[in-house]
Amino acid sequence: MSPSIRFDQVSVSVNEKSILSGINFSLFPGEKAVLCGKSGSGKSSVLKTLMGLLPVTQGLVYFEEIALSPLSVKHVRSCAAYIGQEPIMGADNVQDALLLPFQFKIHRQHRPTEKQIVDVLQRLQLPADILKQQSSRISGGEKQRIALARGLLLGKTLYLLDEVTSALDTESKQAVFDVFSDPGLTVLSVAHDLDWQERCDIIFELDAGRLTEGRRHGNT
Amino acid sequence: METLDIATPQMALLYGLCLVPGLLLWLIGLQLSRDIGLSILRMTIQLALVGIYLKTLFNLNNPWLNGLWILVMLIVADLSILRRAGLKARYFALATFSAVAASVLFSTIYLVILVIQPTHFYDARYVVPLAGMILGNCLQGNVIALERFYSAVRKNENEYATYLMLGATRWEAVKPYFKEAIKAAINPTIASMTTMGLVSLPGMMTGQILGGSEPWLAVKYQIAIMVCIFTSTTIAGIINLKLSLNIAFNNFDVFREEVITKTS
Repeated sequence: MSPSIRFDQVSVSVNEKSILSGINFSLFPGEKAVLCGKSGSGKSSVLKTLMGLLPVTQGLVYFEEIALSPLSVKHVRSCAAYIGQEPIMGADNVQDALLLPFQFKIHRQHRPTEKQIVDVLQRLQLPADILKQQSSRISGGEKQRIALARGLLLGKTLYLLDEVTSALDTESKQAVFDVFSDPGLTVLSVAHDLDWQERCDIIFELDAGRLTEGRRHGNT
Repeated sequence: METLDIATPQMALLYGLCLVPGLLLWLIGLQLSRDIGLSILRMTIQLALVGIYLKTLFNLNNPWLNGLWILVMLIVADLSILRRAGLKARYFALATFSAVAASVLFSTIYLVILVIQPTHFYDARYVVPLAGMILGNCLQGNVIALERFYSAVRKNENEYATYLMLGATRWEAVKPYFKEAIKAAINPTIASMTTMGLVSLPGMMTGQILGGSEPWLAVKYQIAIMVCIFTSTTIAGIINLKLSLNIAFNNFDVFREEVITKTS
């Protein structure tokens, strides 16, 4: 089986400042990985690099064994969902926010049914009436789960999560864990949350833009 | 009906009027006499030079010379738009020039050839001032369009990235900012058309009336110029922003910070 994501000696610089340096790692389909390290160590930059949002100055990033390029980045973006600490809703009310991607040409023909929407909301412990609420009125944790619901409705298989459990209560966190127990979903995350780290297959340690350690859960 | 000339002593009397605001400003403690003096001097010299140039241009009435004058105006406008919008000319000069030139020339040619129909289409008396007025307003609109658009793209960096990650193309992701920028660019012209004649008498119309034209003729010219300003501002704004998208973003659809001259 070939890796879903592979970083091969990847270095990233922004305005001549080194952000990532010689990063090497692989992540196979269905694996869940977490990036740990101090603030500013480059954890979020790894996610942004994979999304093609930061310039790779050296090395290559592979997604499904295809090197990241202006052409292939569109495929990465169509397969990956990025969910940050405070996801952008992009619409005034929650229903419009949830259906936002289906306005874009690529997804226009795949608008979900009402049943599919309700099912996804239930999986994420969200009440159906949240759809009627104003996006600005819902909590950070609810926004994260709406963003996650958007990814699930789009059938995304790769999830790039940046501190996604930070605003969740125990019950909601469990719902998110349950969603990601699906072996069809690959996860590359950034998290300080020990519960989250515990549930991931691989833990990568970053320090000042360098990958200092990568260990499978349970190994030392 | 001829316009009355203003003789030199009367011009001196006119400059003397500036002593009134000058005195008032001095009384309230505003030390602006140097700035005011300098601005009046600059205005006098610049307009005198334009007067000499236009007189020559009108006398010769050569299509190539008229064209060259319009070309110079377009180049100056191009650089001015980019400087005021905070974008580097070495990246955007050609795109902005193409957009502004295409729209201003289209509107001017349409107005002169199809609407006014002078004996010679290149008649400097019509082409030069009309192109100048259309260009001046088009310039304002393009500054607003570019400045608003790129400020919005930079301010909403995360939102833009979210749209891309949700499957939007570059165009789909920037479309909300694009629409807002174009709206802001044409709003002043729309507002001006809405209140025209009620709030103030437009400059061109006043000039024509003072120049001896019948009010009805001045009204028709004012309507013609406003329609052309609206047309060229809209066309130039849309083409300019569209062309700039290929320059301001890299192949990964990420905004290139190096294309801007200022940070906000």
